[in-house]
Amino acid sequence: MLKYALIMLTGTFIASVSQIVLKKAAEKEYPSKIAEYLNPMVMGAYIVFFGASLCSVLGYKKVPLSLGPILEATGYIWVAILGRIFLGEKIGAKKATGLLVIILGIVIASFGPNIVDAIR
Amino acid sequence: MKKDTLKWFIILHVIILIFSVNSICSKKAAMYDFLSPKWIMFYAIVIFVLGFYAIAWQQVLKHLPLITTYANKAVTTIWGLIWGYLIFHEEVTVYKVVGALVVILGVYLVVSGDEEVNGKSSKNNQEVNENA
Repeated sequence: MLKYALIMLTGTFIASVSQIVLKKAAEKEYPSKIAEYLNPMVMGAYIVFFGASLCSVLGYKKVPLSLGPILEATGYIWVAILGRIFLGEKIGAKKATGLLVIILGIVIASFGPNIVDAIR
Repeated sequence: MKKDTLKWFIILHVIILIFSVNSICSKKAAMYDFLSPKWIMFYAIVIFVLGFYAIAWQQVLKHLPLITTYANKAVTTIWGLIWGYLIFHEEVTVYKVVGALVVILGVYLVVSGDEEVNGKSSKNNQEVNENA
């Protein structure tokens, strides 16, 4: 399952990159509603986003649906890191704590029984 | 909460619910051979839902702060548990439930941490948007 989980996580990273591009695009002014969507940045971001959805379908071959969205929460971590690099968004102490808590949640959901067994 | 904000908040959750259907169809597609007719059918629904989400999300982003939209999107973890249990009869363990709740708590911290750092500028932007 690990291989499929990694494919899904790669897809989440790709989707996060497209979210950053979309945020950049949303900050711009456009002459019309159509131009808001039909411009290279937004269209490119969505093409990449659809590519990420393929990774998701591949991942779901073995990853249970009940775990998929939890793994996809890694997107918050990527968005924070990429936002810091490309949008200059700050990561304060509280946000950093939150990112670690998200990782903890993913670890509990993914490896919970193994961790309990290891402790025992 | 202003009436308009409440309206967009409800729209946001309807969009998130529709978006969660995307995971069901991804999982369904994964059960069939790559590029088989049923795989194509379910993947087409995935693309359709993503297309709808793309248009709807861009509009929601204009009415609600990015942090609000992202914080609320964390409920997809709960939808994943519900759909996994109801449709695919997956085992919903206490670890998955606790993990999902911890993830939501983490997302809340990330979002509120963002608010503390960018709160002032976000508030100013909101005021500018309301005046526009």
